Amino acid sequence: MAFIAFLIIFPLVAAAALALVRAESARRIIVLGAGAIIGIASIAFIVTALPAYGGKIVLIAFDSEIIDHIGTGITILIAVVVLYFAWRYKNFWAGIIATIQVVLALVVETLFAHQLDVPYGLYFDGLSLLMTFIIGVIGSAICIYALGYMEDFQKHEPEGARDRRPFFFALMFVFLSAMYVIVFSNNLIWLFTGWEVTTVCSFLLIGYTRTEEAIRNAFRQIIMNMAGGIGFAIAIYCCTAWLHTVSLYEFIAYGSMAAPGAALVAVFLGFAGITKAAQMPFQTWLLGAMVAPTPTSALLHSSTMVKAGVFLLVKLAPVFAVCEVPSIMVMLVGGITFMMCSFLAISQSNGKRVLAYSTIANLGLITACAGVGTPEAVWAACFLILFHALAKSLLFMCVGTAEHHIGSRDIEDMDLLFDRMPRLARFMMLGIMGMFIAPFGMLIAKWATLVSFVDTGEVALIIILAFGSAATFMFWAKWLGKLAGIAGSPENVELDVHKTEWGALLLTAVLTVAACVLLPLLSYVIVEPYVVSVYGVLGQDIASDNLWIASICVIFVVVVLFGGIGSKKTRRVSVYLAGVGDNHDERTFRNSLSGITTATARNWYMEDFFGEARVAPIGVWASVLVMVVAVILAFVGVGFGVPVLM
Amino acid sequence: MTLLYTLIGCIVFAIVAPLVGCLIAGVDRIISARMQGRVGPPLLQPYYDVRKLLAKENVSVNSVENTYIVCALVFTIVAGGIFFSGGNLLMCVFVITLASMFFIIAAYSARSPYAEVGANRETLQVMSYEPMVLFMAVGFYLGAQTFDINGLFTLDVPIIANTWLIFIGLLFVLTIKLRKSPFDLSMSHHAHQEIVRGVTTEMSGPTLARVEIMHWCENVLFLGWVGMFFVWGNPLSILLALAVIAVVYFLEIWIDNNFARMKWQFMLKSAWIVALVAGGVNIAFLVFL
Repeated sequence: MAFIAFLIIFPLVAAAALALVRAESARRIIVLGAGAIIGIASIAFIVTALPAYGGKIVLIAFDSEIIDHIGTGITILIAVVVLYFAWRYKNFWAGIIATIQVVLALVVETLFAHQLDVPYGLYFDGLSLLMTFIIGVIGSAICIYALGYMEDFQKHEPEGARDRRPFFFALMFVFLSAMYVIVFSNNLIWLFTGWEVTTVCSFLLIGYTRTEEAIRNAFRQIIMNMAGGIGFAIAIYCCTAWLHTVSLYEFIAYGSMAAPGAALVAVFLGFAGITKAAQMPFQTWLLGAMVAPTPTSALLHSSTMVKAGVFLLVKLAPVFAVCEVPSIMVMLVGGITFMMCSFLAISQSNGKRVLAYSTIANLGLITACAGVGTPEAVWAACFLILFHALAKSLLFMCVGTAEHHIGSRDIEDMDLLFDRMPRLARFMMLGIMGMFIAPFGMLIAKWATLVSFVDTGEVALIIILAFGSAATFMFWAKWLGKLAGIAGSPENVELDVHKTEWGALLLTAVLTVAACVLLPLLSYVIVEPYVVSVYGVLGQDIASDNLWIASICVIFVVVVLFGGIGSKKTRRVSVYLAGVGDNHDERTFRNSLSGITTATARNWYMEDFFGEARVAPIGVWASVLVMVVAVILAFVGVGFGVPVLM
Repeated sequence: MTLLYTLIGCIVFAIVAPLVGCLIAGVDRIISARMQGRVGPPLLQPYYDVRKLLAKENVSVNSVENTYIVCALVFTIVAGGIFFSGGNLLMCVFVITLASMFFIIAAYSARSPYAEVGANRETLQVMSYEPMVLFMAVGFYLGAQTFDINGLFTLDVPIIANTWLIFIGLLFVLTIKLRKSPFDLSMSHHAHQEIVRGVTTEMSGPTLARVEIMHWCENVLFLGWVGMFFVWGNPLSILLALAVIAVVYFLEIWIDNNFARMKWQFMLKSAWIVALVAGGVNIAFLVFL
């Protein structure tokens, strides 16, 4: 309890301090100190809680009227902030939707929900602990990385631009606090408050630069996520109306017995999770979020925001296991998103957009796993969440650093990165491999996903997974290849990368490798107990022998990548260019008219097959159709009736 | 225990597969020659070629290409070891994909425009056959109730009985995997098919020898995939599997010699359509009936 309170309150204190401090040196000390403290406290909490409780759920008796009122206050504050920006930038729809949401939220909270007591306001279990690690360690690492990055960012800004960094860092820490609220709250109202705080924080972070594009994308984000928030509020209302509870634990207990009305609640909570996890048709808000400074993207994609969405969905997995309508909705939307976004990633040359599509695709897979809802699927989902958080944060930080040093985030410009930024390129390659190839953990989790789809006989999902994975190979392998190019010895441009950036990169890289190597152990200590605590059984998992084979392969690959490359002494020759060579490092040769021609090669983007204009609408409309049908069926399921309130 | 078996399997595979693969390559060249009305080289010609390559000076365009190729070879052997020691089929599929990836990176690292085109095409080939290969693993699981290859020896009927559609799909992508025409886009054994030899453009001497050995090992492994459809509890079934492998390989040689290279658009579309129809329908039948 003390730990949980600390983890929620301390980042807020740090945020308050950061908002007030304008000096760079003081900010540096606060961010480094607070980041380290949050990271250590998170680990300390996990280390003390795990041996005592395993992954079992621990409900904490805690109920406070004051916190209820604070939550209501925050809800109003959020609405005021959004309405202010909507008024200032004349965005009509954001204003409307914020008004609807605040009215709905206040009605639900004060009229219905506050009548119901939740004696056990807080809880934690294996999944919360896993999320604690992701938020506390990876989230803090990103905050620390942001120190160096934002210094460079400010230098790249036009002369006389306002320095909004205090605001930026404060928001980052508020974000962490809100995430802790989400993963520890058993009271759905409190969870909803945390949920909305993350929405508005990312709204402000995306709009950080206040350029026209940033403002437009920020509003797109807020409109979509507030729509999700409305879904959440409706879910809470349905929960009070049919099940007379606002406790997440009790709802899941009722839901997994398929109590009447539970399917309806699950559909709306699923809808909220889908918007937050940027599943189709809401994928555009996460793509738009790319305009923000890279640490924001890293934070949104890896450890917070979208992870809140899938956290909720995975939490609801036992409900999906028995309620068909929400299960099929979540499964199909996740599956469609996984496949379509993997296709779309092939056609992108902007590194951050590739990362964004891959994030959405992976979240789709996690969503589909949650929808399947069997013990094996939840096991896979937990590991997908962990490995995605690690590898993706590493990749975003790499792309951010590369962007400041080579002046571009286009993959085609990352040619020769292996020479120009040798250490960074290796980190990036590690991150990419961690994302898609065996024996790294991500693929092991995909393997478990496949097994769970086969065991439950989800033919559509098997097909989706097979084609989506093939596309995944394509877009990662060609990026990896671009990085691997070597020619002569161009100037090393990574010498002035900030120490804080290296620190954060090294930490996430080491964690990525460690998590892959120790996967069997992590499974045994944290994920398996969680699955057992939820379902009572473990289900058939991947035999640990296979996991250890994978571990050995990981070690081999990492040793080759960081130790074995570039030491051999062999005679060097130039590449063949079908003509008299001129400068081999520049790939120029003498052509038939004795002029100099540069040989160029670009990767394939296959716009005709996988272009956005062609693929995206299919995914969007398929998902919309699925969700509309699901909502209608859910209402049919309860007979359109509204039960009498007690 | 599995770890130990896998280790033994890898060692045995590392020794036996190159021998078998070399002989298969020799037979391949003789049969191809006869189909073209030539006498063809001696059976051991592939061995002589590789021995000569190994004796050459180690020359390369950069310091890393060879390392990547060694990784590709090692992981091909690990994949073979897992398969032939009765290990997990999915693990085998994933490890062989890892080997392909190292092969692709090796080509990219040279930064030769020709090798890059080859690497792009190789990536496309992986994307084309990957769905069908995954369906093969799923079909195996549904047929044998396990992903472990040694589970085959407890069956009463071979898995081909329920998965013949998947088997046909596998035969289709096998042409890509064995690097046979019409789908030898990334590198061709036929000199007339391309101006400069794709992926291996910048590989020479011992490095090229390793690529060749890797190709032999791959072929043995993929033919093992073909054979596993026909194995069941009866030990004699292995003979049947070998006979089927011989027929299938002959068919591949015939296709290789009778079709000119196709465009990549055709390869991608046809491989995916075949995977969707053969794999999807077969799996749907296995699940629902």
